[in-house]
Amino acid sequence: RNDNLSPAVRRMVAEHELDPARIEGTGRDGRIIKEDVIRHLASHEQPA
Amino acid sequence: MARSFDVIVIGAGPAGYVAALRCAQLGLNTAVIDEFLDKKAQPALGGTCLNIGCIPSKALLDSSQQYHYASTGLARHGVQVRDVELDLGAMLERKDQIVADLTGGIRQLFKANKIQWLPGHGTLHEDRRVEFSPHEGDSELLQAESVILAAGSQPMTLDAAPLDGERVVDSAGAMEFTEVPKRLGIIGAGVIGLEMGSVWNRLGSKVVLLEAMESFLATVDQQLAREAQRQLTKQGLDIRLGSRVTEVRQGKTLSVHYEDREGEHNIQVDRLIVAVGRRPRTENLAVEDAGLLIDEQGFIHVNEHCETNLPGVYAVGDAVRGPMLAHKGSEEGVMVAERLANRAGEVNYDVIPWVIYTHPEIAWVGHTEQALKSTGEPYRVGSFNFGANGRARAMDEPVGLVKVIAHDETDRILGVHILGPQASELIAEAVLAMEYAASAEDLARTVHAHPTLSEAMHEAALSVHKRALHKVN
Repeated sequence: RNDNLSPAVRRMVAEHELDPARIEGTGRDGRIIKEDVIRHLASHEQPA
Repeated sequence: MARSFDVIVIGAGPAGYVAALRCAQLGLNTAVIDEFLDKKAQPALGGTCLNIGCIPSKALLDSSQQYHYASTGLARHGVQVRDVELDLGAMLERKDQIVADLTGGIRQLFKANKIQWLPGHGTLHEDRRVEFSPHEGDSELLQAESVILAAGSQPMTLDAAPLDGERVVDSAGAMEFTEVPKRLGIIGAGVIGLEMGSVWNRLGSKVVLLEAMESFLATVDQQLAREAQRQLTKQGLDIRLGSRVTEVRQGKTLSVHYEDREGEHNIQVDRLIVAVGRRPRTENLAVEDAGLLIDEQGFIHVNEHCETNLPGVYAVGDAVRGPMLAHKGSEEGVMVAERLANRAGEVNYDVIPWVIYTHPEIAWVGHTEQALKSTGEPYRVGSFNFGANGRARAMDEPVGLVKVIAHDETDRILGVHILGPQASELIAEAVLAMEYAASAEDLARTVHAHPTLSEAMHEAALSVHKRALHKVN
C-alpha cells in the first residue's frame, strides 16, 4: 500500500486494481488526487 | 551617508511585522517604520489587528460571552448563579492587558531577530529611499535594497454620520465605551458591526443595526447567512436591511435618520458605531516623484507576487487587492520575504479562510453555493447539523451546521461553510483539505475523533454522497 495516497485514491486504486505508478498525479508535489484517478480510468481500457 | 538596510518595511501590522520577521530569519538586515500610537501615546507594534482590531475585539467577545452565559446559560447545566454582576472596567482592562502583552511580544521578537524598529512615519521616495519622520525630532532619509509597503487600512467614514470620538465612534471607539450604552446604533451589519453589536448586546445594550444592503452577509453562503440572521435576531440584534442612513442629529440623544423601501424613519440612540467598511491607508505613503501606482480607491497596484510598478518595491496586506484579513496580509509578507531571499514564495488566494466571531461563529473557505450557481459549475452539497452531534449537545451548543460543497464529477471540495460552535477552529481542517485538493470522499474516509465537533465535518462530507451515518440522507 502506498501511504502517499489520500484515502479516496487508496480506495479507488484497490477497487480498480490500479498501479499508482501509472497514474499521473496533479496534486501537491505530484500527489495523485481523486480526479486524476477518475481521468485515468476514463482514458484507459478497464481490465476485464 | 544615509543609513541603509536590505529591507525597509513600512507598517508593523500583521503583514508588515511578519514580513520583517521572515526577512530577518532569512538573514536580511531589516528595519520597520510604524507610526501607530496607543491610548497612552506610546508607539506600539502589531498594527490594527493587535491594537484596535482582531485581538481586542476577540477579548471582548469572549468576556461578554462568559458574562452572558453566566447570566443565562449556566442554569441549563444545573448550575445556579445568583446576582451575576458586570465589572466593565475590569473587562476593558483585561482586554488592554492582552493587547499590551502581545504587542510587547512582537517587540521582543524584533529584538531577538535584530530588527530595527523606527517609530514614526515612513514615506517612500524615488529609488527605494525612505524618509523616516520620527514622532519627535528630525527626519532622516534611509536607503533600502527593497521596500515593503504594509500601510494597512482605516475605517471608512460616512458623511451622514461624522465621528465625534465620544458618542459617534468607529470600531476602535466601540471597544472603549466606559459604560454599557442603553441604546446602541450600528451603521453596517458586516463582520465588525455584528461582532461589536454582539459584545454590547450581551452586556445589555439594545442594539439596532442599519445595513444599506438588501441581503444579509452577501459574501457568506446564503443558507448559512439566513440561519445566522435568524440566530442573531433571536439573541436580540435588531438587524434592519436595506436601511440607508441619511443624517445623524446630535441632541440629548442621537437621532439617526434613515430610509428604507417604506420611507423615512428615525431612531434615538445613546451611542452610534460607524462600521461601513475599511479603506486602504495610502495617503502620504509615497511622494509624487516616487511614481508609485495607486488606484482610484487608494489600493497600491500589485501583481500576484505583491510587486508594485516600482522595481524593488512591494506592497502587502490591506493596502492591496484581496480580502482585508490579517492572515492574508501575513502570508503575503512571508511570500515577499521568501522571494527577496531568492526562494519560491506563493500565496494561494483561492484557499483563504474567513471567520466571523459571532455566536454561533461563522467560518468558510472556498466557493459559496450562490457563487457556483452563477458560474454554472456542477456541484453536490452535503450538510450536517450540530443538533445531531453528540459533542455539541454535551456542550449545550446544538445550533448551526457544516456544509461541504464538492464538484459533481471530480468530487473535489469546492467550499466548506460552517455556522456553529468553534467554527473558527473547525475550518482549519477544510483549508488543509483544499490545499491538498482533497475530495469530499477523502474527508469522509478520514478518521475523526469521537465525540468531537469535527465529526460534523466528517458527516457533512459523507453526506455529499448520501452516506452520512447519523442523519437520514
